[in-house]
Amino acid sequence: MMALNGTPAADTPLLEVRTLSVAYGRKAVALNAVNLTVPKAGVVALLGANGAGKTTLIRTVSGLIRLHNGAITGGEVLLEGKSIAGLSADRIVRLGMGQVPEGRLVFKNLTVEENLQVGGAILPRATLAERLDAVYDLFPRLAERKDQAAGLMSGGEQQMLALGRALAASPRVLLIDELSLGLAPLIVGAIYQQLKKIREHFGTALLIVEQNARLALGICDYAYVLERGEIVLAGPAELVAASERMHESYLGARAERQAAAG
Amino acid sequence: MLVQFLLTGLALGSIYGLVALGFAVIYKAERVFNFAQGILMVCGAYLAYTATTQLGLPFPVAVIVIIAAAALLGIVIQFLFIRPLSGQPLLPVIMITIALSIILKALIEILYGVQPKPLATSLPTGVLILGDVRLSQLNLTAAVVSWVCMGVFFAFFRFTKAGLLMRATADSHEAAILSGVNVNRINAGAWAIGTILAVIGGVFLGQIQLASTELEHIGLLALPAVVIGGLQSIPGAIVGGILVGVIEQLASGYISPKARDVFIYIPLLIMLLVRPWGLFGNRELGRV
Amino acid sequence: MTSVSTSRTAMPIDEFAPSAPARQKAAARPLRWLWLAVAAAVLVYLPFVLHDRAILGYRLSNIQLLNVGLAQLNLTLIAVLGAVSLNYLTGCAGLVSIGHAAFFAVGAMAAAATGAQLGLPFLVSLVAALIAGAAAGVLAGLPSLRVRGLYFVLSTMALHFIVVFAFSEYQYAAFDVFGISYPQPAIGPFALDSALKWYFFLLPIVVLCCLACNYSLKHREGRALLAVRDNEQAASSSGIDVRVLRLKAFAFSSAIASLAGALQAYYLTTVSTELYSLNLAISFIAMIIIGGMGSIAGGVVGALVWLLLPSVLTGFAGELGAAGGGLAKIFVEHRPQVVNLIFGSLVAVLLIFAPGGIVGAARKLTKLVRPGAEA
Ligand SMILES: Nc1ncnc2c1ncn2[C@@H]1O[C@H](COP(=O)(O)OP(=O)(O)OP(=O)(O)O)[C@@H](O)[C@H]1O
Ligand SMILES: [Mg+2]
Repeated sequence: MMALNGTPAADTPLLEVRTLSVAYGRKAVALNAVNLTVPKAGVVALLGANGAGKTTLIRTVSGLIRLHNGAITGGEVLLEGKSIAGLSADRIVRLGMGQVPEGRLVFKNLTVEENLQVGGAILPRATLAERLDAVYDLFPRLAERKDQAAGLMSGGEQQMLALGRALAASPRVLLIDELSLGLAPLIVGAIYQQLKKIREHFGTALLIVEQNARLALGICDYAYVLERGEIVLAGPAELVAASERMHESYLGARAERQAAAG
Repeated sequence: MLVQFLLTGLALGSIYGLVALGFAVIYKAERVFNFAQGILMVCGAYLAYTATTQLGLPFPVAVIVIIAAAALLGIVIQFLFIRPLSGQPLLPVIMITIALSIILKALIEILYGVQPKPLATSLPTGVLILGDVRLSQLNLTAAVVSWVCMGVFFAFFRFTKAGLLMRATADSHEAAILSGVNVNRINAGAWAIGTILAVIGGVFLGQIQLASTELEHIGLLALPAVVIGGLQSIPGAIVGGILVGVIEQLASGYISPKARDVFIYIPLLIMLLVRPWGLFGNRELGRV
Repeated sequence: MTSVSTSRTAMPIDEFAPSAPARQKAAARPLRWLWLAVAAAVLVYLPFVLHDRAILGYRLSNIQLLNVGLAQLNLTLIAVLGAVSLNYLTGCAGLVSIGHAAFFAVGAMAAAATGAQLGLPFLVSLVAALIAGAAAGVLAGLPSLRVRGLYFVLSTMALHFIVVFAFSEYQYAAFDVFGISYPQPAIGPFALDSALKWYFFLLPIVVLCCLACNYSLKHREGRALLAVRDNEQAASSSGIDVRVLRLKAFAFSSAIASLAGALQAYYLTTVSTELYSLNLAISFIAMIIIGGMGSIAGGVVGALVWLLLPSVLTGFAGELGAAGGGLAKIFVEHRPQVVNLIFGSLVAVLLIFAPGGIVGAARKLTKLVRPGAEA
């Protein structure tokens, strides 16, 4: 792994992944000794191509990996210094880890309001209403569609809803998997604007998985690059963005060169 | 005669609708196609026998005991039989519910003997005569109670947090887990509700006929009822149940009691071929 | 929980080169022939043991024979036909059928129409049962063209009730409430008038059917069926007509079941509609779960357990009865219930802990004991 200068905030990190290895089934190794840290209220990006293992990392951290027939073969996942590797996914959520999964996964037959209520079901009733108002403030579009069935909304709206649902539980750290997948750039831009606000308003730490590196590097403080299950590059956003390797493979330098050559 | 058959069919159909509703709740929660629903219904009849005849409890207390026992039974079944197979393909899951029904039936026959038992609940047994239509008060009570139960059930799903979480879990297990929902507990709850509904139906059928494991066949009519109504649809289960009740009465009344099954299963077959998602189901969701 | 496939992985469809294990098998061939010879000798000698209640002149007590009689063995052979044909369909083709008892009924009806009503010879009525079974199988398989998984299971259940209704109408119209009586079966001048003769008539049929199922599975069509089972899309895109194959599998399986139904009817001499209950259909599914889905051996083992275990248990309970345990008493008083309880629990336990059934568990064990050996 190539470490660029500078480490994330020094005191106990909110989320820490230590030499984590994960395999699907008996053989298919998806992650190999991955280290990653998300500081309190930090925004961290996890970049990588298709099949690099980004989703696998998210699933492992959130405890969903067993549901997908995967297993941790080594290493640790710590939330505020406490190991959460063996816990069930719903316990982990109740400990303050929210997730916006790949492919959105809203409750299609429930209304927008009900989706958010389920999202915030772990909160006491009194705080829930307040929290939902905050979510509606962040995404006024959701407020307009309160009573619509989630399955009938557009992709972008569903993505907002998935984000809103995760936020409704007041997570301390939010894992976001490929927000931009299959959405129009305009909508993606709008949602990313809101992501910035999430940290400001709620102090939530974010771990953002993205294939679109430019997008993610635009809002994160720190970035990791995953290739074939291993972290190959890590560092503050500006340094990662400026690195040669990044330019080569992810920010389109190669494509530009090819275009020039062709 | 027609009115007579229709009314009786409606009353019995309400009971089937109740049992089918229980079936649909279990199906929606975990995608478990419960072949044991029929025998769960039979358990209701025998629970009523134990509570009223064997223990001699006053009827209101007996009702509470029966419902509590049913909930417990559902939870235990989910824990012992269903949870170990969660995530498995269709056939093993269907088979374990069949194994469950074999086991329950054997246990009932060992505990209570094979002779049918008459129930002595304090449900009304008189006959209402309206013109030339005779309506048994028991059937009428059964219908009314079934409708009340359905109403309570709808209110539960619509207005309570537990109901909301159940609907959410039925919609997407993974998303529910990601919302911090303990889906095991929710599924156990679904089994408790499904069993309670079957058991209430069983108390009535046991009183109308006799408590006997033969009632299982009637309980199994919940299957075609649910599929005709639409596997994924709760109102569908109820309408399907009523439809099956009416068809049953008309077929046994006008043709012969033996013809009952064919007149229920032929529409089922047609429905499967033409509209597999059922009368009320959703086309996309109905593809299994 | 919507796919029907078991845990076996897809086999490449158009790869026919013998694999490494196949070559190993060829090397082990002499040993295999020895085993076959021993098995054949046992199968031929077994009925005489059961008939004479003695082995090599040495008398055996009832319990030493596990309380099993020759008549039971014959019924078991018939059940093997049912279980193996269902396993062919369910385990190997990924089609679940709750309608297998219905095919037994079809066979019994075909035999009744030809053998009992028209007075045609026994063998002719068996052929009629085969044909009727195949035709009924194609009809029953038709819904599989439109619906999959659970809906298909339900369509077979609906067919069950429809066939049973047809059977009872037929029985009441052409015969009486007591059931359909079949004439004494005979092959030319030889009457099948003893359990021993029946055994030697049934045994080759069963062996033949097992071999046929096995052959079909191991060769082109069977492999294609396995491919269909594991991944329909892949199979369709590789140019296999999934629908025709599936119908063929259905016809083949139900022809055997129907033959078994005719044999059973002749063997029992009288059958009536109550025999063909949903429980019978379920018992076949239970057999293949107990034995192990997806293999011929699984069907055989399952049928053996299902038909022989009850009398074995009865035998032991009878032995114990004198010693007077409370359990033995319960068993004697509620024999069918206790047997059902044991079967139901057995199925549940196997489903949870050994989804491959007895055969699957045995294979795992042999692999543990002798790594590298193919069971
Ligand atoms: N459920 C699974 N079973 C087996 N292998 C899996 C499973 N899910 C993912 N994999 C494999 O693990 C590797 C990492 O996959 P993962 O989904 O984590 O990648 P990703 O970085 O999220 O890719 P993408 O950008 O396409 O979403 C891939 O090779 C993939 O094929
Ligand atoms: Mg991914």
